[in-house]
Amino acid sequence: MIQKISAPVSVQLVYDHRLRTVMPRQIFWDGKAIRVAKVGMHHTVREGRTLFHIFSVTSSELFFRLKLDTDNLFWTLEEIADGLPN
Amino acid sequence: MDYPIKLDFNRRPSSIMHIDLNSCFASIEQQANPLLRYKPLAVAAYDTPNGCILAASIEAKRLGIKVGLRVKEGRLLCPDLIVRSPDSDKYRSVHLALRKILSDYTPKIVPKSIDEFVLDFSGTPAFQKGLFFIGKEIKSRIKNEIGEYLTVSIGLGPNRFLAKTASNLHKPDGLDEINEKNFRKIYQSLSLMDLCGINRQNTTRLNMVGIYTVPDFFKADIPLLRSAFHSILGYYWFLRLRGWEVDDLDFDTKSFGHSYSLPKTLTSPEELAPILSKLVEKVGFRMRHSDFQAKGVHLALLYQDHQYFHEGKSLDQPIFDSRDIFRVAMRLLRHSPYKLPVRNIAISCFGLSSRCTLQLGLFCDSIKKENLVTAIDDINDRWGNFVITPATMANTEKYVHDRIGFGQIRSLI
Repeated sequence: MIQKISAPVSVQLVYDHRLRTVMPRQIFWDGKAIRVAKVGMHHTVREGRTLFHIFSVTSSELFFRLKLDTDNLFWTLEEIADGLPN
Repeated sequence: MDYPIKLDFNRRPSSIMHIDLNSCFASIEQQANPLLRYKPLAVAAYDTPNGCILAASIEAKRLGIKVGLRVKEGRLLCPDLIVRSPDSDKYRSVHLALRKILSDYTPKIVPKSIDEFVLDFSGTPAFQKGLFFIGKEIKSRIKNEIGEYLTVSIGLGPNRFLAKTASNLHKPDGLDEINEKNFRKIYQSLSLMDLCGINRQNTTRLNMVGIYTVPDFFKADIPLLRSAFHSILGYYWFLRLRGWEVDDLDFDTKSFGHSYSLPKTLTSPEELAPILSKLVEKVGFRMRHSDFQAKGVHLALLYQDHQYFHEGKSLDQPIFDSRDIFRVAMRLLRHSPYKLPVRNIAISCFGLSSRCTLQLGLFCDSIKKENLVTAIDDINDRWGNFVITPATMANTEKYVHDRIGFGQIRSLI
């Protein structure tokens, strides 16, 4: 089941200069701190000239699609899914 | 032209590599969302029961779910089928990442579609390493640099056709070669329909001249193949099956078009106009972005009862403004003799020429019009598609979504 959300969200992002990796570590959503277990994919999208970074991540039981607006560095939670049929 | 009557199989070592990303859209969705992995999943144009399945995961394919089935048919085969809508940006991103990896090995890369590449290694330093070694390295780099769940089938051969055929031998995650040593054995294991380009109709043609198997096809001489195909195609097949190259052609852009399957049928031109306007805006933007103008517009309509209307109109002067394209398209739409519910609508512009040769008109200020169109395109480019739109395409947000077409990817950079 997928739930489209499109709401502001707090995200803790970690940059490791040795491994040259950038990944969300925690999401603060619905009053809970959710630890990111895995980053499935990271890709970028342009809307006009604004570049967005999309992180597809999972916690132990949920999938989150996070969008970072590089103009203002604000995060949006676009989607939550549980990996079950609609 | 005289054709060689006898020709041996090409003895040159394989220099062509065909790469096919397995279950492309579905695998990318499973890569992005690990909770979907190892589950039957389909990516469909719409997740409604009548939505057409565009890609099935390897697990769904094992249950008989194929591209082209409706979602409701897929759910009959697998009630737990997970259905996702396509996310074109994600697939383009993987395509570009894959292209970046491949460009480290050879500059001669031809993207055949969003999930297929042909690489020519002739004359490259990488060729010295051996294509099997490179194939394994590419597979490993895809897993490390793009996604561990993505697999590709790689085919090697002396020409594009055999490389493609080899890539289909083992799916998923295959790495096979067809060369002068093994081609007879592999041909024996294939049916005519396994060959790319031989469909049911071509099979019938071949059957009519006594060709029933791939070894029969290989052994057939040119006069027999000519009598089957009634064209130069017979000679091309004679060469293809012997490993000689006939498919390394690069075609110029001849037209720009968009089509759309309507979620619900619409009948009157007034109902269809907003959707047609949006299709025209997309076509016009792409055409101008590639610096072309068109001297013709073509409209095709598929009706609910499978009747088909299409008509093209050639123009005296080239056009580039979407408003002009829309005017011609609406004239064609009103010209349709059938007043039936429309299922599918397609618009294209043909007779392309470079926009640098703008003809000044007597009755309108072409330069002023070009400046206006360029300004609108610049604004849409800066702030996102459809920021400025004509009033004719009002209320079309839910129609004509971004989609990846089948076939060659030209404008993706």
